Amino acid sequence: MLSVRDLGVAFGMVQPLSGVSFSVNKGETLGIVGESGSGKSLTAMSVMGLLPLSGGRITGGSVEFDGQDLTKLPERAYRKLRGGRIGLITQNPMTSLDPLQKIGPQVDDVAKLHLGLDGAEARARTEDILGTLRIPEPSLICERYPHQMSGGMKQRIVIAMALAADPDVLIADEPTTALDVTVQAQIIRLLDDLVKERDLALVLITHDMSVVAQTCDKIVVMYAGRAVEHGPVEEIFDRPRHPYTQALIACIPRGLDDATRLTGIEGTVPTVLNYPKGCPFHPRCPRAEAICATDPPEFSVAGDSAAACHFAEVANAQPA
Amino acid sequence: MPNLLEVRDLSKRFTSAGSAFRKARSMHAVNGVSFDLAKGRVIGVVGESGCGKSTLARLILRLIEPSGGAVHFDGDDLLAKSPAQMRRLRARMQMVFQDPYSAIDPRYTLARAVAEPFEVQGVTPEKPMTDEVAGLLEMVGLNPGLATSYPHQISGGQKQRVGIARALALRPSLLVLDEPTASLDVSVQAQIIGLLEDLRSDLGLTYLFISHDLSLVKYFCDEILVMYLGRVVEALPDTAAPARHPYTRTLMESTFEPDPKKRRLIAPLEGEVPSPFDLPPGCAFVDRCPNASALCRSETPALSTETGHAVACHHPI
Repeated sequence: MLSVRDLGVAFGMVQPLSGVSFSVNKGETLGIVGESGSGKSLTAMSVMGLLPLSGGRITGGSVEFDGQDLTKLPERAYRKLRGGRIGLITQNPMTSLDPLQKIGPQVDDVAKLHLGLDGAEARARTEDILGTLRIPEPSLICERYPHQMSGGMKQRIVIAMALAADPDVLIADEPTTALDVTVQAQIIRLLDDLVKERDLALVLITHDMSVVAQTCDKIVVMYAGRAVEHGPVEEIFDRPRHPYTQALIACIPRGLDDATRLTGIEGTVPTVLNYPKGCPFHPRCPRAEAICATDPPEFSVAGDSAAACHFAEVANAQPA
Repeated sequence: MPNLLEVRDLSKRFTSAGSAFRKARSMHAVNGVSFDLAKGRVIGVVGESGCGKSTLARLILRLIEPSGGAVHFDGDDLLAKSPAQMRRLRARMQMVFQDPYSAIDPRYTLARAVAEPFEVQGVTPEKPMTDEVAGLLEMVGLNPGLATSYPHQISGGQKQRVGIARALALRPSLLVLDEPTASLDVSVQAQIIGLLEDLRSDLGLTYLFISHDLSLVKYFCDEILVMYLGRVVEALPDTAAPARHPYTRTLMESTFEPDPKKRRLIAPLEGEVPSPFDLPPGCAFVDRCPNASALCRSETPALSTETGHAVACHHPI
């Protein structure tokens, strides 16, 4: 449904994103996971065609959606797509909601704009969608303002807005990061159900490996503006081949099942101004050798997954 | 081990100012919390936003004044102390804050930030100050060469290390850690947690660890207090204890494992968290609880202790 190939992004002379590839099909959830500054939100912005707003431009690669390359799409055509066939859910619901407008009209507008419905039709659709998102008494909620609602409820409204135009692809950028765990679990379940019921293609962007493990079919692990490993979620968690993925998994407390000590990763996440040459992870990598500091690694494919590491073959031979 | 900290029926009521248009309202941010923390142990306080866990941390150090209850630290009744006595005692009980960005004065060099506790307490360190600062920076895994740097020149993880060095400066016995890793990336979080584990065994520290992250609390702590809307609803004597309160179970089931083979079946949760200004009578979890009965709507369940595993529920699991 959506296929990104070798995407690169620049802001002036700075290249915060390069060589990002992934694809997602209907009824499938793809997780893009990485720490702060890894370029995951920028990837979402690129796919949504929102880069020019912040002064960025796509320097290479393609974003293919339903047979057309979005990087070559004129802005007018993009507007039809954005919020229409491709929906976006942001981390903070208040960046998507107008604090001065009631909920009903805000959701109605999406269906009016993208589906050409009139006021009454749009409202009926809005109430219908709110109902499917298990929001009690949709007609009452339509008359409320955002400040009268809890964070979890606001995020449901944002999801309703994203669904109002019946999208094929949903991009969710940290949709549960601002929420409490019990609310997060509810939103994740909701997204899971939507993918199945509506045959949606969901791109879930998150820093949380546990959320990825819970809900995704495939994942892309990003580090310092690059995809470093991608593949089916079971394979990546069972046999991570990139040292960064291995370290990231070792950083997560597993409660009782595993009493092994958390290791952490030496050093800090690089910022876009000091991305290392060669492999971006080499200054923090326990396995790094001279070649890692000079040559960016190619993807080494094994089965359905691939890791961008000079020593991915070796990593595969040793159980992680 | 003797108790380093004894908290009894600690409460804090906040009242909002009334006006011509609105009646004054009050809420119990912390309501009748009691627990003992033995020397060398780590107790985790876990709960969602607004449950009162950070207020509890501040009440214990008397950074805000409790409305009722008692806190004993190493035998001293803290609420009976004068501000001057309290200040001296705080040398032995320190806090590490969630946001290392706002915990350090941006105009101070790291050396000055780490030396500030000595200044405040009027204590002269045994070694010359520069050596003392270098020693503290090394203790938290920072290069002593950073002493002349400013906070904006270092990363978030390094700042949190400075926050810990400051807290350790006066050799405290108790550290209250208020979400010390919540603003950090996971790879850095793991570093800081490892550092705190090392410091605990090297210096014989006792921790009160506040967090919203149940997996982290399970990993790091010996005992767990689960808070919901100001009250402790369950006190797990060890991290392997099964949940007995329906809220604790909900919390556990909402916490995902980093393993695709252990996916959770997420049961839909009815109801919203009630407003703390307008709590229902009886149990605060009643509207979201699958086991709720008429009794739960009329009577607030007390924290009953059975074999050291206390639960505040009329129908425990």
